[in-house]
Amino acid sequence: MDNTGYITLTRQMGLMREMQVVANNIANAATSGFRQEGLGFSEYVQDIKGGGSLSMGNGNVRQTSLVQGALSETGGTFDFAIEGDGFFLIETPEGERLTRAGSFTPNGEGDLVTFDGHRVLDAGGAPIFIPPNSGSIGVGPDGTISANGQFVGQVAIVQPNDTTNLIRENGVMFRADDGFEPAEMARVLQGFVEASNVDPISQLARMIEVQRAYEMGQSFLDSEDERVRRSMDAMMKSN
Amino acid sequence: MRALQIAATGMLAQQMRVETISNNLANMSTTGYNARRAEFSDLHYQQMTRPGSINATDGTVVPTGVQLGLGVRPAAVSIHLAQGSLSATGGDLDLAIDGSGFLEVTLPSGQSAYTRDGGLKMTGEGLIVTSDGYPVSPEIVVPADARSISINSDGEVFAYFAEATAGQQIGQFDLTGFTNAKGLEAIGSNLFAETEASGPPLTSTPGQDGLGTLRQGYLEDSSVDAVREITELIAAQRGYEMNSKVISAADQMMGATTQVR
Repeated sequence: MDNTGYITLTRQMGLMREMQVVANNIANAATSGFRQEGLGFSEYVQDIKGGGSLSMGNGNVRQTSLVQGALSETGGTFDFAIEGDGFFLIETPEGERLTRAGSFTPNGEGDLVTFDGHRVLDAGGAPIFIPPNSGSIGVGPDGTISANGQFVGQVAIVQPNDTTNLIRENGVMFRADDGFEPAEMARVLQGFVEASNVDPISQLARMIEVQRAYEMGQSFLDSEDERVRRSMDAMMKSN
Repeated sequence: MRALQIAATGMLAQQMRVETISNNLANMSTTGYNARRAEFSDLHYQQMTRPGSINATDGTVVPTGVQLGLGVRPAAVSIHLAQGSLSATGGDLDLAIDGSGFLEVTLPSGQSAYTRDGGLKMTGEGLIVTSDGYPVSPEIVVPADARSISINSDGEVFAYFAEATAGQQIGQFDLTGFTNAKGLEAIGSNLFAETEASGPPLTSTPGQDGLGTLRQGYLEDSSVDAVREITELIAAQRGYEMNSKVISAADQMMGATTQVR
């Protein structure tokens, strides 16, 4: 009976979700290595007995923008940025994770770690040991780390097999359930950190759009409510 | 309505960024100060529809699913350890460290702290101390009748007496390095303390083990780059404003909800 209400409700719930996605993007506009998210709507069609169909807009499609973020120069020895497609490989207690946030540091034991203390792995899946007081550290475009000209290790740069199936985890990390392989086209830059790839202007514009669409939905519900009430009144009077 | 809380985490993060920047700018002329940088990380994700879950009886798999992020958190305020420029002061006891090492000082509690501030002074007894009066370790005492002292790049301290042309060695400065100097805990007054994250102190002679050398008559300037800080400040301020816009938009959406009926 109240199909109009349900259709609008689906739309409003989707918009509420999208508002949350936009808020999260803007909140992470200064998070290095963060990838902008988007929410898409898909159509859900239901057959109505006795003719016609109902179409609902369901906000259930997620997009992760893998566009290159701006590189900000920090000058830090262990600040690495990836230019091109690819991710650093991180060891967490839950398994291997991917990240673009390349602000690393050696820990007390000399292993290269992220700011959460997770070890950065090399192409063979082993942690990278930086000898103490090793003087000048250089990093080549392929991720090779050298100390005073001596080879120390090579940071792994990997590319997930299926970029659409990346699960986000806190700590700017991604889980690749479909596996990953070495990235061919990526270059590592030392002394840079990749900024968040959130485009604040488009996000603000999207926010206004979502807000207005939501208000439109509400006023639609409002007039629908009014219509039902009037017709009920009219029926009561004619009785 | 989680958008409100998400935007609030964003505002807090930007506020922390401004606080870090203001501390950097306040320490623009602090000897041996290294700029700090606030780093952020995203918060947990709420799984609305798991990617890869099965959508229909025919086994269609949801390709992307829906994950909603819950905002941002401060991940670290890291020290950007960079060599500051050296400015000539001509002072006998002004030492700049040209390299990554630290001078060790002894606190009144007997614990050790580490500093890059080489603006050293002398007590009435001739003991070499920092500006706050903490003795440098190993202790060096300058005899009262010394005419002048000189410190070479390897940290050897020579005193010159009366008419003698050759100096006498009266002490030796050491330098201390850490596996992860970023992991040191700043305890104020240009001092750092050893932590679990920094690793144990590795003491050595200047000029060895890559810790750098000493320069007498120079002080290390603050490594704060004003231009960078101001651009960061602008970005932080705009970021703050954008998050507050999200809050007001979310608020208006809630207002629209309550006005129905």
